[in-house]
Amino acid sequence: MPKISIDPITRLEGHGKIEIFLNGDGDVENVYLQIPELRGFEKFCEGRPVEELPRIVPRICGV
Amino acid sequence: MTKPKIALYWAAACGGCDVAVLDTNEKILDIANLVDIVFWPIALDFKYHHVKAMEDKTIDLCLFNGAIRSTEQEEIAKLLRAKSKVMVAFGACACFGGIPALANFTDRAEIFQRVYLEAPSNSNEGKTIPLVQTKVAEGELELPELFDTVLTLEQVVDVEYFVPGCPPPVDLILKLVDLFAKGQLPPVGSVVASDKTCCDECDRKKEEKKITRIYRPHEIKTDPEKCLLEQGVICCGPATRGGCGLRCVKANMPCRGCFGPPPGVFDQGARMVSAIATVYQGEGEAEIKKMVEEIVDPAGTFYRFGLANSMLRRKRPKQVEGR
Repeated sequence: MPKISIDPITRLEGHGKIEIFLNGDGDVENVYLQIPELRGFEKFCEGRPVEELPRIVPRICGV
Repeated sequence: MTKPKIALYWAAACGGCDVAVLDTNEKILDIANLVDIVFWPIALDFKYHHVKAMEDKTIDLCLFNGAIRSTEQEEIAKLLRAKSKVMVAFGACACFGGIPALANFTDRAEIFQRVYLEAPSNSNEGKTIPLVQTKVAEGELELPELFDTVLTLEQVVDVEYFVPGCPPPVDLILKLVDLFAKGQLPPVGSVVASDKTCCDECDRKKEEKKITRIYRPHEIKTDPEKCLLEQGVICCGPATRGGCGLRCVKANMPCRGCFGPPPGVFDQGARMVSAIATVYQGEGEAEIKKMVEEIVDPAGTFYRFGLANSMLRRKRPKQVEGR
């Protein structure tokens, strides 16, 4: 199926791409938004002292 | 005359470095007058295919922020390197790994397990985890592969300059742009910051005082005039390059090292251990052991922004890792 990729999506905070699949008539059959990024704060914050978290988690999003 | 071309990119990052560029306020207009910005995902609608279509070395200056922790980020780093005359590791993540490199205390499998299968805020009955390739009714979807180990930009491509900080302060950003505009960029390999330590630049009073214990913030009311380390609060200033404007210590927060190691120091954490050993007055094994135990998370504190760039680089993997 023909595919249009919008990669990367822009003018927003974060990473993403959009895959648009077209059917035989050239109409949109389905669209997928994908997030090609993961840093793992949920995991690597474990074991850090609680008083340090206000200095770590702002780096989830700095916008 | 054609204007010089600048690209800005974010890899494993939070967007704070991009916002720091915008924090130049009205001077961003001067920058925009001075150069053509040819790629900047947060602000302008250029796609990867636009960059791929450029001739090599078309971009005069690339400000690359974020660490490298996926095949896509590695690919874009190599792409931008090929298209750029000058590559700048912009911000703590690109320079040293930054906060994302705390993931080097764990690995991809553990991160997926926690994020997608265990996190209490997640509803994932199908136990879906990200796959590099996924078949859907219409065709196939692809995602980049995450590395087990977060890398610095320089571990992936050649880098000409380093602008540290989380994020880099506006004065250093303007200094870099100014040096670039005047054609006065420093020798390759230079760090655009101070050559002193954060501690050297700090105006808190130091009395060469020894400490007998380490305090956590809730255990002490610190004197805002005096050196935090000499009050028993872990402050990474002695092991950190200056030039930051002392944003943290001026807010009564101890330094956590976002400017990376000072000149001549390779391992920031080892330097920090040495700094603490210098101020600690303890005798005998029992007292020293007690003090070591008072430092709750030594590796996560001394390598807060620099694990990827350190001698340790990562926690020893449990099994043979992908890279």
